[in-house]
Amino acid sequence: MSTAISYQQACLNRASHATSPLRADDLSRAALLAQYHPDHAADASTLLQIGSSRGQPCHPRLAELLQSNALIDGFDLAGAEQRSTDVLVLGGGGAGAAAALTAARGGATVMLASKLRLGDSNTVMAEGGIQAALAASDSPQQHFDDAMRGGHNCADPQLLAQLASDAAGVIRWLIELGMHFDLSDASSDGGKLRYKQAGGCSQPRILSYRDYTGLEMMRVLRETVELEPGIQLLNRCPVVELLSHEDGSCAGAVLYDLEYQRFIVVSARQTILATGGCGRLHLQGFPTSNHYGATADGLVLAYRLGAQLRDMDAFQYHPTGVAWPQRLRGGLISEAARSAGAMLLNGLGERFVDELAPRDVVTAAMLRECAAGRGIERDGQLGVLLDLRRLCGPDQPALASQLPALQHLADKCGIDPTREPMLVYPTLHYQNGGVVIDSQGQSSVPGLLCAGEITGGIHGRNRLMGNALLDILAFGRRAGRQAARLAQAARNKSSLPPLRGGIEHVYRWQRQLALAGLDASQQAPLLYPGQARLTLHRPASARA
Amino acid sequence: MEKLNQVLLNPAVQVGPDLAAWLQAGGGLGLQAALTAPTAIIRCIADADLRGMGGAGFPAWRKWEATANAVGDCKYVVCNGNEDEPGTFKDRTLLSASPHQVIEGALIAALAVRARCLIFYLNPHQGSSLHTMQQAVSQWQDSPWPEKLAAVMGHTLEIKVVASSGRYIGGEETAVVASLEAGFPFPRKKPPFPAEQGINNQPTLINNVETLANVSHILRHGAGWYRALGVGKACGTKLYSLSGDVLRPGLYELPMGSSLQELVFHYGGGMLQGKAFKAVFTGGPSNTLLTARDLDVALDFDSVWLRHSRLGTGAMIVISEGSSIIRKVAEYIDFFAKGSCGQCPSCKCGTFQLARLLDRVDGGRHSPADLDALQHLCQILPGSGRCGLIDGAVTVVKSSLHTFPEEYGLLVQQPV
Amino acid sequence: MSETICISIDGKVMAAQPGDSILQTRLHGPDAVTANIGCMGQGVCGSCRCLVRKAGERETVSRLACETVVEDGMQVSFIDYYQPDHVHRYRPHDLRDGWQALPQLQQTFPETAHCRHCGGCDRACPRGIPVQQGIALASRGELPAAAALFDACIMCNLCTLACPENIRPNHVGLYLRRAQAIQNLRPGDLLRRLDQQARGQLSIDTTAHLARSES
Repeated sequence: MSTAISYQQACLNRASHATSPLRADDLSRAALLAQYHPDHAADASTLLQIGSSRGQPCHPRLAELLQSNALIDGFDLAGAEQRSTDVLVLGGGGAGAAAALTAARGGATVMLASKLRLGDSNTVMAEGGIQAALAASDSPQQHFDDAMRGGHNCADPQLLAQLASDAAGVIRWLIELGMHFDLSDASSDGGKLRYKQAGGCSQPRILSYRDYTGLEMMRVLRETVELEPGIQLLNRCPVVELLSHEDGSCAGAVLYDLEYQRFIVVSARQTILATGGCGRLHLQGFPTSNHYGATADGLVLAYRLGAQLRDMDAFQYHPTGVAWPQRLRGGLISEAARSAGAMLLNGLGERFVDELAPRDVVTAAMLRECAAGRGIERDGQLGVLLDLRRLCGPDQPALASQLPALQHLADKCGIDPTREPMLVYPTLHYQNGGVVIDSQGQSSVPGLLCAGEITGGIHGRNRLMGNALLDILAFGRRAGRQAARLAQAARNKSSLPPLRGGIEHVYRWQRQLALAGLDASQQAPLLYPGQARLTLHRPASARA
Repeated sequence: MEKLNQVLLNPAVQVGPDLAAWLQAGGGLGLQAALTAPTAIIRCIADADLRGMGGAGFPAWRKWEATANAVGDCKYVVCNGNEDEPGTFKDRTLLSASPHQVIEGALIAALAVRARCLIFYLNPHQGSSLHTMQQAVSQWQDSPWPEKLAAVMGHTLEIKVVASSGRYIGGEETAVVASLEAGFPFPRKKPPFPAEQGINNQPTLINNVETLANVSHILRHGAGWYRALGVGKACGTKLYSLSGDVLRPGLYELPMGSSLQELVFHYGGGMLQGKAFKAVFTGGPSNTLLTARDLDVALDFDSVWLRHSRLGTGAMIVISEGSSIIRKVAEYIDFFAKGSCGQCPSCKCGTFQLARLLDRVDGGRHSPADLDALQHLCQILPGSGRCGLIDGAVTVVKSSLHTFPEEYGLLVQQPV
Repeated sequence: MSETICISIDGKVMAAQPGDSILQTRLHGPDAVTANIGCMGQGVCGSCRCLVRKAGERETVSRLACETVVEDGMQVSFIDYYQPDHVHRYRPHDLRDGWQALPQLQQTFPETAHCRHCGGCDRACPRGIPVQQGIALASRGELPAAAALFDACIMCNLCTLACPENIRPNHVGLYLRRAQAIQNLRPGDLLRRLDQQARGQLSIDTTAHLARSES
């Protein structure tokens, strides 16, 4: 790694400026991104060789998983427990919960299967907030324009317009479920909502609940799902394969029940994938802010079944991941910190970027400082400084009341934010691309809907702060509603339980793998990211 | 010689709450002897080697002496009849069939430690025992005896019958104190021991029903007589609550130190349906298992201890071949989990996790890692609670792991 | 820096790096970790609850593994997540009528009145929330004050596990907080925006950005 400035020296340099100067930039944003953003590294993209998005660019590590073999074969379905439902939701984050609740409210019987436990997801970790253009000075159009620009004009305009228009309804729905939002003035106008500024936005538009908006949201969603009689919840049941009908449509999924160590075959009229992204793949060697389960499982299964993908080479590296101490590396410091005035400084004590530029720009600028030897090194960890002094001024409310999660994090780092800066480095945060969907969350495979981070197109090639929490709810609800509608239509045609599917698509896939000369010994989904792989327990009789 | 039911369950003294009948059966003589020489009581109890029958097996006189020597102007004696362990059903029998036997012993204890207040702390959920005791106590109070007692002690003795919460935890000594101070029966940290600081910080002697029931007989017949009742070095008799897969479950009073073989196969009529004897949970659920190898063990505190188990309350829950030890252990752990008072998260969470793991093992869906986790819990939980509840829970799990590893699917280590 | 320390996790002895959390150490073990894991250090998902006993100490305490730094000789047992048979069911729209707040709480969570003040919930809480006080306030009818105490609750359910009266304190706290939002939160901005959209106003021109990027 190139040279860096020691943490002590950087602190001295920082102290030598009364107010840290912002360095004039000699590089255009486009050039900055092209040279320094990890997506543009030479080894960050390859072309998919098989499948319905053949020929499209994709990150090589992800491509390996997408073009891999199944974990199970026909034997495993023999003797497995059989269940059926109208709507099967896969994934226990915010998108899955919203989809399940909406489908149940739409009259469908719902099964929600989660690999970990309902709520142990990226949603619960989201700190900053949720975008909703509610202020009188704001409009869904401005929300749309900001997000379109932030995403480099690559978003699907139809999806993005729905995202922006759904916001008010989503906030109402959340309040109806019992979620709180911060108010700037509780006594006037029915409680004046507090709007925070997000990077890349024309005006403050972020609604939040302290700096643990995701926790507040997820605990409300989880409780609602757990108490909803129409939803059967299966914790610790990762999906290992989807099921297909002869016409290629989705017929449900095969789950692996960890508690009972056995397969469950779920026949569903409609299946919603809400399995999230792939941060735990540590693309380009970056740490990640993602939860333990973010291993691209759903993406792999959807692609194997024939769903089209897009923008699989566009990822978001959040600028302010913890770089020191190593124990907390990759953990997130919310953009709310920069929104409230935190500054990014290089080893010379200079500001080198507008902290509230879009995330990809800030990240590229940070990586540039590190590459140019102006980064800071502390106990072997490289990064730049996040200076929190402006949040800790005498005229400011205490950090613990302003941003309690940040204070909690600083405590865990053993850092006094009033005196010491934190060391930060970009962290793999979000998968911008994913499964192509239509306005109701329908993928290109009949019977298969998708919602949340697994989908692509809503944010283009870069997402703005606060649009992920909005996305999972707006499209989770759309997918849930649509699935319930389609299941109802199917029930009207036939009152028999949904037809059982098979894994014919796996055999078709294996043919493609062989014909393309790809390695069929590699299996996916990964399910768990560590080195130790889970052994799926199989009855001896089925293996004989 | 028939050695069954010689003293406490002797048919002659099963007279119910009728005081006159009790006196006619020889009652009162022990108390009379005590009143004649009150300073000799503790010596006599020590010579008899009377043990605490509530489970500890601790020499009774030590607590008596500590309470007698402790400073306090309003000492208490508590007769602990909270009995709530599964498999133990001796105290309720004594209390309802021969209440005066218990009362007389308690009065002697009160005399020995110079107590101002005697409390019968009784589980209200056990048949008629509470009601019978109330009747019996009121008959004592209407008799000339309280006056005789007051004359010797120099002050009156208040006698109360108090219903306990009936919770398992309420039988623990310090929980008894907490409960009688009108609170929830939360166990407290020891020391201080109740003999020094018990109810309202006064010295308090707390004895089990069976312990006190023996006292009048010892005072009446002498320590030597009591010692001679036992087998070998053991003294006196013991009530054994025999249950499980035997032909004739029930309560048997046998010489202390009778063999397990004798209890199960002679008095208990042998195994149900001729099945093979597999194991017995001694002393109730918080103790350890004895197996067929231990059928020869003498059922007294010291001998059972030498087999790494405990006599406890004298409960003997017999398991036959074909019954699952793990299922039984899981039931006991559920019992402990429900009984945990809540003060110590390690106890409440620990029993929960033990129950979860046992449920998985019992259901046959455990992994080797679950067994490691189970054994590990047995290491980190003991000693972490204020009282011994969590220790008891761990003891039974540990014992079953040690005694029946094959039921858990653990490889039995072959000697090299 | 090469000093290594040993801890045992669910019966397996593992070498740990000083400064690492219990959870990180566990991930280096031989088995795939499939439970008691989620947010990996942020301390918000509440999955990695465990019992911890430090070397030489008598006490065994409940902790979050992702926020507890390893010490030599530490022993750790993870605690399952488990949905009890008996849960307190209610639906969000049942909470709309604030006038029924007190009877509804008593009906939904009758055990709240049974608190025996053992303090186990307070000791179990990894967030230091005064849980018992929250329950006391709730049973006295001081609902906003009770709700406020549970503000930072991560729903790890350790207090629910610790409670001998099956009060499920964190769920009571969440119930009160939800009721508060459901009954009281009516921001004017939101009401007006919903009204505008219901009238068909504020539709989005999805081509405007094309014109702009061309110009």
